[in-house]
Formats: sequence, C-alpha cells, structure tokens
Amino acid sequence: MAKDAGTNGPTGLGPMGSGLTRRDFGKATLAVGAAAAVFGNAPAFAQDKVLKVGVLLPRSGFLAQPGQACQRGADIAQTLLPQLGFPIEILGADTESNPDVARSRTEKLIQDGAQVIVGAFDSGQTTAAAQVCEQRGVPLVVNIASAPQLTEQGYRTIFRNFPTSSALVGNGLALMKDLFAATGKTPKSAVFLHANDTFGQANKAALDKLFPTLSMPFAAPEAISYDPKAQDLAVEVAKARATGAELVIVTTRANDAIMIVREMVKQRFEPMAVVSPGSPGMYDEQFYKVLGKYSDYCITNLPWYDPKSALAQQVGKTFKEKFPSDRYEGYAFNIGFTFEAILVAADAFKRAGTGDPAVLLDALRQTNLSEKIMFGGPIQFDEKGQNNAIASACVQNFKLRPTVVLPKASAEADPVFPMPGWQKRA
Amino acid sequence: MTTLFDQLTARGRVALGLFALALLAVPFFADGYLISVITLVLWFAYVGQAWNVMMGFAGQLSLGHSLYVGLGAYASAALFVHFGVGPWAGVWLGMLAATLAGAIIGTLGFRFAIRGVHFALLTIAFAEFTRIAFDHIGWLGGSGGFFLPVGDAAGANPFDLRGSPALFYYVILALTFGALALCRRLLHSRIGYFWLAIREDQEAAQAVGIDVFRAKLIAVMISAAMTSLGGVFYAFFYNNLFPEQIFSVGRSIELILAPVIGGIGTLFGPIFGAFILTPLAELVTWGVESAGLDMPGIKQIFYGLALVAIVVYRPEGVWPWVARHLRLVHQPGDQPSHRAGDRP
Repeated sequence: MAKDAGTNGPTGLGPMGSGLTRRDFGKATLAVGAAAAVFGNAPAFAQDKVLKVGVLLPRSGFLAQPGQACQRGADIAQTLLPQLGFPIEILGADTESNPDVARSRTEKLIQDGAQVIVGAFDSGQTTAAAQVCEQRGVPLVVNIASAPQLTEQGYRTIFRNFPTSSALVGNGLALMKDLFAATGKTPKSAVFLHANDTFGQANKAALDKLFPTLSMPFAAPEAISYDPKAQDLAVEVAKARATGAELVIVTTRANDAIMIVREMVKQRFEPMAVVSPGSPGMYDEQFYKVLGKYSDYCITNLPWYDPKSALAQQVGKTFKEKFPSDRYEGYAFNIGFTFEAILVAADAFKRAGTGDPAVLLDALRQTNLSEKIMFGGPIQFDEKGQNNAIASACVQNFKLRPTVVLPKASAEADPVFPMPGWQKRA
Repeated sequence: MTTLFDQLTARGRVALGLFALALLAVPFFADGYLISVITLVLWFAYVGQAWNVMMGFAGQLSLGHSLYVGLGAYASAALFVHFGVGPWAGVWLGMLAATLAGAIIGTLGFRFAIRGVHFALLTIAFAEFTRIAFDHIGWLGGSGGFFLPVGDAAGANPFDLRGSPALFYYVILALTFGALALCRRLLHSRIGYFWLAIREDQEAAQAVGIDVFRAKLIAVMISAAMTSLGGVFYAFFYNNLFPEQIFSVGRSIELILAPVIGGIGTLFGPIFGAFILTPLAELVTWGVESAGLDMPGIKQIFYGLALVAIVVYRPEGVWPWVARHLRLVHQPGDQPSHRAGDRP
C-alpha cells in the first residue's frame, strides 16, 4: 500500500500526520504530565486508554436496512481496529430513523461517556446530532450524509468523510466520460430517470448545475421523475424509450431500479447502458436476487471500496468471519464509510493521546490518513470539516457481482459498453 | 390566573405549584440529556394542547396538523435566512399562513358538511399536497432540505432564538404554560361554551342558535395559529427542515398522541400525556439496553404494547383517572357550579 510522506496509516507504521513525529508527541505528552504534576491535578483525559465512540445509526424505522448495514461496519471496526493498534469501545444507539430520537440519543451517548460521535447515515438526523455535538463541543464524524449544507452551516465540530451530493454527481458524470474513452464508444443522447424524493431531487439539481460545465458528449438529458412509492413505472420507461436516448441515467433505490430494468426488458428498450451517477439500487443484493441475469452490465459510478487496498481486504476478511452467509459486496458501501469514520476518530485519538474533546478536535483537523478503504486521496479535512478527496469508481455488474472496471489501476475487469441486449444474455 | 386553578383542589394546586417549580429548576440540576428530553416533552405538550383546541374542545378531528407546524417553521426560517428577520417577528407570518390554511380547510369542510373521518382525510390531504409542493420550492431548499445557520451554542439570544439548550428549554416551557392559560381562558369564554355544545351535539347546538360554521372555523384557526408557533420553535431548535419529515402523516400522528393518552378535551391531559410518552420511550430504550437485547425495532414493539395497554385500560385518558384518584381536582358534586364537558 502506498504511503505518502507525512501521512499516517491505521497500522500505525506510517509517520504521524501533519508533521507531528513520535518524538514531538512524546515531548508533548511529557509536558502535559509535568504540568499535571505541578498543578496537582492530572486531567482525567490524560488517562484515556480507549476511545469511546458513540455510533448513531437508524437501525430501525424506514432507514433500517442501510442503518443495519452501517452497523456491520461498526461491528467490524470494534473487532479489527484494536488489532491494528486503535483501542476503541463502541457505544451504539438507534435513531429509529427519526431526527427527534437522533437528537436525544446523541445526548445520551455523550452522557454515557462517548468522546466522539459517528453517524448518522441521513442528513436530517445528522444535523440533529450535529446540534448537540456543537453545543457539547464533542466531535461528530459523519459516515454517510450528502447534504452540502452540513459543512456549510458553520459547525465547528463536524467532520465529513463523504462526498456532497454535487460532488457525488460530478464524479459520476466525469467517470461516464472515462468509460466512453476506455471503450471507444460514445452515446449521442441520454435520458434521466429519477425518483422524486429528497435524494432524487438533490441529484437532479446537481446534474442540472454541473452538466453545462462538464463538456459531456451529449446534450442535457431530458428528466423524467416518478414517485418513489409507485408500484409500476411502465409509463415513465415508455416515455424514456420514446425519447430515443442511447444512454439511460438513473437515480434510484433498489425497488425502483428493479422496476425500471424490468420494464425496459418488457418494452425491449435497449440503450447502450443504464448508468447511475452515485445512487444506490443497482448494486443492492435485492437487485441481483430479483433480476438475475438482467441485473448484469448495469453501471453505478459511486464512491466504492478499493479492492486492491490492504485495509479493504482486511475488512472483507473480517466480514466473512463475522457474517459468513452474506456477501461483502452487498454491504461494502455502508460498511466502508462507517468503518472509515470510526477509523478517522480512532486515528485522531491515537495522535492526540487523549479523548479530551478540544484536543481531539484539533487532531481531527490535522487528519491525514492514507491507508484507507474507499477510493480517493488521503483523508484530510478542509476548514469546514469536509474531505474533498473522495473519488468514485465505475462499478459494473458482472455475474451478479458489483465489479470495479474503472479506474484502470484498481480495475477487476474491463468495462463492457455498450451492454449486450436483454435477449442475448445466457 | 385564578380561573386556571379554580377547579383544582388544594392538593391539586400544591401539586401543580411543585410541578411548575420543578420544571423551572430543571436546567439547574439536570444534565444535557435530561434537558433535551424534557424540551421534547414540553414541545409535544404544547402542540398537543394546540391540537386539543380543535379536537378536544370543538370535536373536529385533524390528522394533518403537521401542516401548521411546517408552515410556521418554514415561514419563520425563510424570513430569518433570506431577510434576517428574527423568529419573533417571523412568527406572525407563520401564524398568518397557518391560520389561512386552517380557514381554507375549515371552510371547505364545514361549508360542504364534511364531518368525522372524512374531515380528517381532508386535513391529511392538505398536509400531503403541501409536502409535495414544498418538495419543489427551490427557494426553500426543496426536498433537499432548508438549513438555518448555526448559532452560538453557549450564548443566549432569545430574540433570535439562538443559544444554549437552557434557552430553548425556558422558551418552550413558557409556551406550554402560555398555551395552558390561553386554553383555560378560551374554554371559559363564550366561544368555548359554543365549542363544547358543538362537540356534544352539533344539531342541538345549531338548534339553539349557535353559528356552528363560525365557531368551528374559529377553533380550526386558533388551533392552526398555536400549532404554527410550535413550528417556529421546531425550526430554530433543529436548524433544518425537510418537507418529508415536517409535513409527514407520521408527524401528525405523533402530535396527537400526547392529548390522546393524557385525555382529549382536558386542559392538563396533553401535558400529562407528553410526560408519559417521551419518558416511556426512553424507559423502554433503557430497559431493552439493560436487558442486553440488541434487536433493532424491539423497542418500538414494547412501546406500542405499552400504548395499547394505556388506551385499552384508560380510554378516556390517563389524566382524568390520576386526577380523580389523587383528588387533584374537584369531583362532580363537590362544586355544583361545574359545567358539563368542562374538563380540567
């Protein structure tokens, strides 16, 4: 694994981040100890040996499925991180997919001794938690939540290792151009099918804003929205087909992604590809189980785990040991970001040598983690607490498995574009 | 204030006084978690009291009260974010919008004699299509959410509702007691007696000359305005608004649970109900965690069972039963002047 100068890794073998050497750190620790001896009272945080991480997730309610997938990331972190030299103790809390509960559970986690909060999958719940963390001066490391405002509202205690919705779409569109270049085939037109919910609307807004700046090889796609609770998308797919588009861009969840592909098969709508610039759905277990061979060749451009990263492989191995009957790929996105968020907190604790929130906040601001799971540069936060170095990968379904096809350096297979027709599949 | 207490026994007045004192003292002894929980309790007590005006007093079932919370929240938040207008000035626009929405719903429902569950469906429909509309208003963030800037967490700026949890706690405490006093006054006013008559028998009320349409419309408008004030608090407390959350039917149901559990049509019922519900939820969470049950969703099952038990065994609400058994209020017969339907 590459180790950039000035970065620190989870194995603890790399140099400390932000120019802080072990010798400097030792001196600082001695100074704190001496000060404590002089003033008689050693600060309580000086004795912290284990970081108490409050993990706030929607483990029940309408976001239970991704929330429980994220929880697996926390379970793996609890097993793996101490082995890698990051002593942590995880305190879990269920937000019940409700911001009111998220707020009170954050208070409870802090009351129970959590020195850092990790969560909370959804922007509304994360903001509710952020309020409490800001008031109590406790760091909040966001695992998954894409509303740009989270790091624009002026919070001083928030750190997000997840792209904003506009970065998500921007990276997704840029990867489409890479896909066309890699395969030598370029579609001349596209249509955009999206769910008319918070996520779908945010993606559409980002697409509308970014499209003119990206010099895409086709005109701005016509947008067709649908109710995410709809039981049938025949009309929407028929409308998309009538546009004559060669590329179908989608923003979906699992259910609507299934309905769209099913209708495309029924209506013999054969575009060059179905591509999602960053939404879930087409790499979900449910998508493979329901659609079988028709799930193959669908493409999602999203932040993904780097299959060649040593840490991602370790996490995958631990996953297999803990959950032998499940496929890692089906959970990798949620597990990867949750694990990394906990890793970010644990790394800051290791460098700070204390769980004192003020010191921990400073350490978090100086984060520089190169050994990580997800694609992108070292984890670093800007002055607003946003990590801008998260990259996306082009993930194509092959034999009912999400497979990295771009970037080339980490590819597990070559991209297939245009995809084979629905009736030509074995 | 004497009218607020005249139905309480001496014991009831002492209990209320001690309760009020304890609430005033909460920030001095409670930690952040407890303050947060009691703030939430008081918010549900306040909006429950507002809903009670319409259902408890006038007998008009609304299952779409999240509409008024959302309108109050969005109006004040938009004025604050886009024009720098503080919440106490913005609240008037929120109340105006909510009152207008209430007037439209009421006019439609009462003019066309839509009653009972059908009227309730009308209230849901308005909340739902407002949610869908707000999903598409880019100026208010659309479905991506509307965010308020973060205030100074340690300070106390009551004019802009920016500050510490204690500030928010005292604001919602004042609103709750204010709503209690207002409802007591309304109930003993001319319109209050009209509402009670309509609630008991609308045809009879009409027969004795009460302008039923007007009285019911006033109930809806007052209830809407009061609820929108709760929305203003919500916006500045949470600093983010999502149409899917604030206008949802689920939110409407949450709002009415406190008065239903505490006692519909009673003055102290919404407060008592809120003090049962939120602590009950926390208690169940604690119980589940203490028992080492790591099963997501099991808390909701226990919570639901507890609610079912309360509704089955105390269908009139818990407050009337508690008040009767602890002799906190005068019993019928103690004071012959008590009027039918006037429930403390």
